[in-house]
Amino acid sequence: MASDPILKITKVSRTFGAIQALKEANFEINEGEIMGLVGENGAGKSTLVKIISGFDSGFKGSYQINGDEVKFETPSQAEGSGIAIAQQELSLIPNMSVAENIFLTGAKVKKFATLNTLANMARPYLDEVGLTDVDPTTRINLLSVGEQHLVEVARLISREAKILILDEPTAALGEAESRRILEMVERLAANGKSIIYVSHRLDEIFKITKRITILRDGVSQGVQQTKDIDVNKLVEIMLGRELANMFPSKADHISDDPKIEIKDLWPDGVLEPISFSAYKGEILGLSGQLGSGAGEVLASIAGALKSRSGSLTINSENFLPKSPSQAIKKKIAYCSSDRKKDGLFLGRPIFENLTSPALSSISKYGFNFGSTEQDYSKSLAKEFLIDVKRMFDESGLLSGGNQQKVALGKWLSIKPDVLLVNEPTRGVDVGAKSEIYQRMRDLAARGITIIFASTDIQEITYLPDRVITFYRGMMIDEHRLENIQTPTILKEITDPFNETNL
Amino acid sequence: MSTAIQENQQPFSAKFLQFYKDRTLLAILLSLFAVMFVYGIFFTDNYLTLTNFKAIIRDAALYGIMAIGLTFVTLSGNFFLLSLKETASICGVTFAMGMATGFGSPDLAGNFMVSLLAALSVGVVSGVIQGYFVGMGGNPIVVTLGGAGILYGIGAWWSDNLVINFTRPHDAEWLGTGSFLGLPSITWSFILIAIAGEIVLRHTNFGRKVYLVGANKAAGKATGHENFSMAIIVFTICSVCCAFVAVAFVAQMDSAQSNYFSAEFGSSGDMTILVIATVMVGGNSIMGGYGSTLRTSLGAIFIAMVDNMMVLQGFNSGPRIVGVGLMIVFSIIVFGLFAKGSRAQE
Repeated sequence: MASDPILKITKVSRTFGAIQALKEANFEINEGEIMGLVGENGAGKSTLVKIISGFDSGFKGSYQINGDEVKFETPSQAEGSGIAIAQQELSLIPNMSVAENIFLTGAKVKKFATLNTLANMARPYLDEVGLTDVDPTTRINLLSVGEQHLVEVARLISREAKILILDEPTAALGEAESRRILEMVERLAANGKSIIYVSHRLDEIFKITKRITILRDGVSQGVQQTKDIDVNKLVEIMLGRELANMFPSKADHISDDPKIEIKDLWPDGVLEPISFSAYKGEILGLSGQLGSGAGEVLASIAGALKSRSGSLTINSENFLPKSPSQAIKKKIAYCSSDRKKDGLFLGRPIFENLTSPALSSISKYGFNFGSTEQDYSKSLAKEFLIDVKRMFDESGLLSGGNQQKVALGKWLSIKPDVLLVNEPTRGVDVGAKSEIYQRMRDLAARGITIIFASTDIQEITYLPDRVITFYRGMMIDEHRLENIQTPTILKEITDPFNETNL
Repeated sequence: MSTAIQENQQPFSAKFLQFYKDRTLLAILLSLFAVMFVYGIFFTDNYLTLTNFKAIIRDAALYGIMAIGLTFVTLSGNFFLLSLKETASICGVTFAMGMATGFGSPDLAGNFMVSLLAALSVGVVSGVIQGYFVGMGGNPIVVTLGGAGILYGIGAWWSDNLVINFTRPHDAEWLGTGSFLGLPSITWSFILIAIAGEIVLRHTNFGRKVYLVGANKAAGKATGHENFSMAIIVFTICSVCCAFVAVAFVAQMDSAQSNYFSAEFGSSGDMTILVIATVMVGGNSIMGGYGSTLRTSLGAIFIAMVDNMMVLQGFNSGPRIVGVGLMIVFSIIVFGLFAKGSRAQE
């Protein structure tokens, strides 16, 4: 290697309770280099990024900058050493001007400065990120989301950051805007900045990086030279092989008896009306990255998200639910992707959580005496492998995996015909994951139609009987049973129109 | 499977805390009762008399009933109805108007049922309207503060800010000053309403929904329990409780004025603060989802005890209001400490 790495992390481990997020992971980056950081959800990317940027100091292992051992207690200490992070969620103040946002902390600015002074000071930084045509006195909320990302980066550069971490900067952006971000990254690298580029979009990773660090289950899989590997190899390293065993086997065939027909559904985040059917007893996967529209389609079937048009046909009845309670009446259950937000009543006991959607059906004239509810709740808990002894504990005390089982298991209480699940195993450990997959397969075998959306490529390859792929708000293709192949799906959800020439 | 086994052992401390929290708040309240009681026996004249205890429960009954109504609002995560005393005020004026004038038709003057129904209807209407705006997404503090101004204003306007008198004997005496088996009617009402409230919360779907929606509005919506209808119902329950208290109080005083519940009422000046204090001192979660009407009832009796002792010790209203304020602060601190220690929330 020609030069010593500017940042070097060796054998870093981090545990959260029983979950080991990082196991002796290594990472390094040279000056002026663009390093890709990839891994599936839960592989430890965000933990690593937090450690590097000083948000997380509770790790074991060595962290060196320019050869000196460092230990950051706060993000501002990391910033002092020239490390800055642009989060996925922007931290700009919408009503203030571009220049004011860049110099928000007031460092390097005189006590009294006019907007003009600030604008002049901001100019070089804006030029550097490629916002040459933006007036620094414009209000931030008049800029596009992509431009706002660039302003955020300009702010980091203004504080003399040498190492920039970009966490999924293009996740919410269209093609043209993404291209501007990529151009900026390349320009910054040419100016000597080191950039850690975190992304799920493999096409971008291949386009701009020289080297790629791959994480899998908290272990770094070594650094790869980008020119030496292709998408398939990268995905193989990302996923590993042995994990395919945790999935139950697929159905022998797909029934041709449609249980639910979705016609012209058109929620926000989707470019054109979407139509498809789901058959009795199948598991249908909707595959797509964040912003692909797959999750939005699911939410709008359940009435949790407004749809501009369309209708559902279930049991030869036509309707469009306007709220979750209407969908529940038609036996459509929807388990959202964020269990803490709207999946669980964290402060309430587990048994109350389990029966929450079915209160009216288990009570008599609105009254609820005796043990009917608790017996019912216990039977649900047993079915979903939730510890019956803990029924009266607050659900917030459970681990992520068991919380997810409660969030999902509560929907069995309404005896659903259609079960919609968004990200069935987000933030769930491997053991609970395979239990959840097994339960989903059992339910499907019982005749329940399951539609789930996932950004997890393993899940989408091995769990469903049928997959529909989505890309930036468009429905791309459909695959059945043995035709579900990881490379095909990955291609369709990252780059279906050959916009990049890999 | 392995995860299930691990978890059996791991959260013992969490389980312990859970058990501890439920009992501790209650234990603290009960030991405070005991301390007050012992202090009262030894250092206060006329404390340990039946008359005095009846007086304590009677005081507790008036704001206790309103506090039970407010408990539903607080448990369901809709914070507070800040127009408590104004709702009581306009309902009291309505009732007195009915008793004195029969709303313009002399045949109805003094008719208890008509006056009562009129007062309760005013409570229902104001509760439904405020609940509607909160259910639509309005901030409960802002909505009910606005409601407070409007309700008080209408009552004062209608009664010309005068005291409305009606003379004894009248049909409402049994509620105002009457008693049954040695206990005042208002005390019986308090006991019955407290029991009913507890049964509704523990054993009905509606009660469960109050807790669920209060614990997490978004999850409530996702499971088909929307805050829209919830807000309307809980605000109506609370307003009707205010109306009932107003009727009982007006029946006792044989008169009504629109500022009865701001100045004249009880000892502690402001009715709204007193009722909110009762809910807080009882140890109900201010964010909703945790608490009960039993706690509120105990809170009401506790406040009445402290207040009663201060009266007997010769304190005038200033220090007594300070006492109520200190109790709110104390209960929030205690509750905050225990809630933090035990909940595995973000």
